[in-house]
Amino acid sequence: MKAMMKLKQGSFLWYLYLDKLYCLLSVRNVKALLEYFHLLDVHRNNTLNDVLFYHFLHHVTSWNRTQIMIVFNMLDWNAMGEIGFDQFYMLVCILLAQQNHLEEQFIFRHSRPVFELLDLDGALRIGAENFHMYNFLFNIKKEDLRELYHDFDITGDRRLNYKEFKLFTIFTMDKYQERQKAEKEKGKKDLLKKKKLHHVNVTLKQFFGTNVSENRL
Amino acid sequence: MDEKPFRASLGSRASDMSSPEDIRNLWTRATLSQPKLNGPWSSVGEDSDMEGSSVGSKSRPWYNQKARGDSDGIWEEWDIREDKDSFKQEDLDKPSLLELELSRARSLGSRLEEQDGDSKESKTDTEMSSSESSLNISKHTPHRAYWMEQQNRLPLPLMDLMENEALEILTKALRSYRSGIGRDHFLTKQLQRYIEGLRRRRNKRLRLLMH
Repeated sequence: MKAMMKLKQGSFLWYLYLDKLYCLLSVRNVKALLEYFHLLDVHRNNTLNDVLFYHFLHHVTSWNRTQIMIVFNMLDWNAMGEIGFDQFYMLVCILLAQQNHLEEQFIFRHSRPVFELLDLDGALRIGAENFHMYNFLFNIKKEDLRELYHDFDITGDRRLNYKEFKLFTIFTMDKYQERQKAEKEKGKKDLLKKKKLHHVNVTLKQFFGTNVSENRL
Repeated sequence: MDEKPFRASLGSRASDMSSPEDIRNLWTRATLSQPKLNGPWSSVGEDSDMEGSSVGSKSRPWYNQKARGDSDGIWEEWDIREDKDSFKQEDLDKPSLLELELSRARSLGSRLEEQDGDSKESKTDTEMSSSESSLNISKHTPHRAYWMEQQNRLPLPLMDLMENEALEILTKALRSYRSGIGRDHFLTKQLQRYIEGLRRRRNKRLRLLMH
């Protein structure tokens, strides 16, 4: 269940993208998605039933039947047995966030809806079992989960309320940004090194017709 | 997050029905309309109606999302045809609207000329430049309206991709329906009819592309 989800290459969703800051679709993308939703809405209810929903997800993702039905039950928060466009849109954003490795950003930006999705029984608290169940959706690693309950369970009831969950998302977001910054710095250093080497080689070629290796630099 | 019902926009339809020659009678059946277009489009309208009808509801509300700095995200529902700014154009006199259309047609016509050197379009452009009756204009405005509509619709390759994918998904769903609820169930028949309609449209489009 913990395998990384991949969208089917060349599928319609594969061409969509999230705004990197707010982790939402642009209006143009929403328009296209709405058209797509209506193509699948065979019975003209503005909804997708469980069969249509299953075949849609089975076609575009690598999830198995159990995972798909877990997602369906999670999104069917009114227990109607059908998914409307609101829920469909939310699902697509989650899929795209996973596809583009924006899970931390997504959870940070939309902490309330995510919390409400994970809070299955409406107790306004999330237990570790909820996280385990939806691990494949948000790619929260086991170590992070342990850390989450160790560091953020302030009330000590082994469950997270919304504030504790929000703190966790802020912390995760900080870690994610630091990681991005470190990668950027590394990328800049490598680029600078390459430029220096190139410049030195050009100069030396002009005078001596020789190259300098990276080691000598 | 409760489901919000999809509300059809009936207000603009009422105004459309009052002027049968208005282009909006045809384009409002599709997802978007150009409220500024005028003139009879009966022949063009038939085609767009056929296309729109097999996809589903013809007047769907838009969803506008506000998530600026709000981690929860707020959804608003709005209908483009109820956009007050666009309806202000209705207050303009018809002749001045026509002038707007003429200038648009000229620019469109000249662009099309460059692109495909279509003699019909050049004829349109020539005719537009001279003083002509509204009847003559209405003969050539179907092309204008068609291109205006094309600019607001989703690109055809994207529609093609979406429909092909939907067909694949729904064909598999049909097998599940048959095994789950039987061939004679009304939902199975409805799905089957829908798939056939989608296939017919796709084949028609492919035939047009080939020619």
